[in-house]
Amino acid sequence: MAAAALSGRGPCRAGWLPTLQFVRQAKSVTRHWKAMHFERQKLMAVTEYVAPKPAIPAVCSTPRVHAKKEENGYAKLLHRQVAEAFQDSKMIAVCQHCFTPSDEMLMMQHRLRKHNIHVKFFPNEIVRPYLSTSKYKNLLPLFVARNLMIMSPEIKVKEMLRMLKRVPQISLLGACIDDTILSSQGVVSYSKLPSLEVTQGQVVGTLSLTTSQTCALLQHGAGHLSALLDQYVKQQSGGTGEPDGQAGEGQAEPGPAAGAAGL
Amino acid sequence: MWRGLARPLRALPTAPGDLSYTRVLIAGLKNFVIPQNYDNISIPERPKLKFIDKVPSVPKVRREFKNLRDIRGPSTEATDFTEGQYGILALGGGYLHWGHFEMIRLTINRHLDPKIMFAVWRVPAPYKPITRKSLGHRMGGGKGAIDHYVTAVKCGRLILEVGGHCEFGEVEHFLTQVAKKLPFPAKAVSRQSLEEMRQAEEERRRNNQNPWTFERIITSNMLGIRKVLSPYDLAQRGRYWGKFFLQDRV
Repeated sequence: MAAAALSGRGPCRAGWLPTLQFVRQAKSVTRHWKAMHFERQKLMAVTEYVAPKPAIPAVCSTPRVHAKKEENGYAKLLHRQVAEAFQDSKMIAVCQHCFTPSDEMLMMQHRLRKHNIHVKFFPNEIVRPYLSTSKYKNLLPLFVARNLMIMSPEIKVKEMLRMLKRVPQISLLGACIDDTILSSQGVVSYSKLPSLEVTQGQVVGTLSLTTSQTCALLQHGAGHLSALLDQYVKQQSGGTGEPDGQAGEGQAEPGPAAGAAGL
Repeated sequence: MWRGLARPLRALPTAPGDLSYTRVLIAGLKNFVIPQNYDNISIPERPKLKFIDKVPSVPKVRREFKNLRDIRGPSTEATDFTEGQYGILALGGGYLHWGHFEMIRLTINRHLDPKIMFAVWRVPAPYKPITRKSLGHRMGGGKGAIDHYVTAVKCGRLILEVGGHCEFGEVEHFLTQVAKKLPFPAKAVSRQSLEEMRQAEEERRRNNQNPWTFERIITSNMLGIRKVLSPYDLAQRGRYWGKFFLQDRV
């Protein structure tokens, strides 16, 4: 940019022209990157952006908190269903769920349904948090790989085991019947138990057995002694004759009396 | 035994070519994403880009000046979205001629699904006549004849808009394809990304720790720096240099 100095006098007396006039000669908008004036380069360098730098870097000050993942509606629904299922059922059996053909699976579910036994499928990541906070904490080791749950409000273990025997791909891992955790052998032995009425009758019989024996025990000694004495009398009468028989009789009379007195 | 099963299943490398890492196999609950609601978006009757003429219907008789200030500085028109949701934003100044228009039109129309997407031009058809002298002649002899027409585009202007029942991810691919072929730097944007870009710019301007800003120095003419600067720099605040846009400047 050239500067031209003009004199104040002359034809420009009415108005005025500045002392210095700048004349731009180069084009300002070019296709190529035009070289900047050095002063302008310096200005651009001085006025660059400087990012804020806190005394304590953000990495050190912010705690490493994992952002809480928003639970989607489906997961919430499944949580609710799991809670309901566990609350409503008295018998809960956990089985390993290997591949079964769909028709066999359907038939098994149908047969179980007739006895009001439901087969439930829940993802482990839904069931495990529920279990860890509920009273079924000790069932956690069972919910590891692919599994299914057999739940029922009634306790019908024999029918369940019979159905499971028909489908070899589903194997029982464990069960929680009436708030008691049982292994698969435990479930089998539970099914072999007699019914409640039978066991009650057995208990009553065992208790009354001793009392029924008391009377017999009391009479046992006296009866034994009288039998022995009878036998002796018979022997005496049979061996010696009448006088010994009288003496034997006389002896025989105070015998049972003495026996009775002794008792 | 059970604790081993509780950890996620890992597949060990069995083939000899495998690297010594284990792939973790995890199957979790599927997250069913609710699909977006496009009820308020209607597809117009002619969803594809219109054909753009090479020459305006009334060709110019008067040959125009070069007038390069139609390239310089930020754009004042077509800076915001109107009909569509995604578009191409110009990040520099330049001229678009018929070849560019054809390229854009063909590429976009090829990738559009007319049932669910539509596209709209945000630049006018070429209107500015560019003259050329015939080859091999010396300087002088007057201004050349009108050779072709161009459209001037300033920085910050939207070239075209795309909308419809589609996501940015579907549309981004061919918009960037087109953006790379334009004579000025451009990028594919959505309404949200444009908003974010402007907010980020604003944030940078606010939290700039440098006490010396271009604006401050030039408005108070410190060191007589206006001797080497143009009056346009007052408004452009050092972010523009000719037709170029300096993105890193604040």
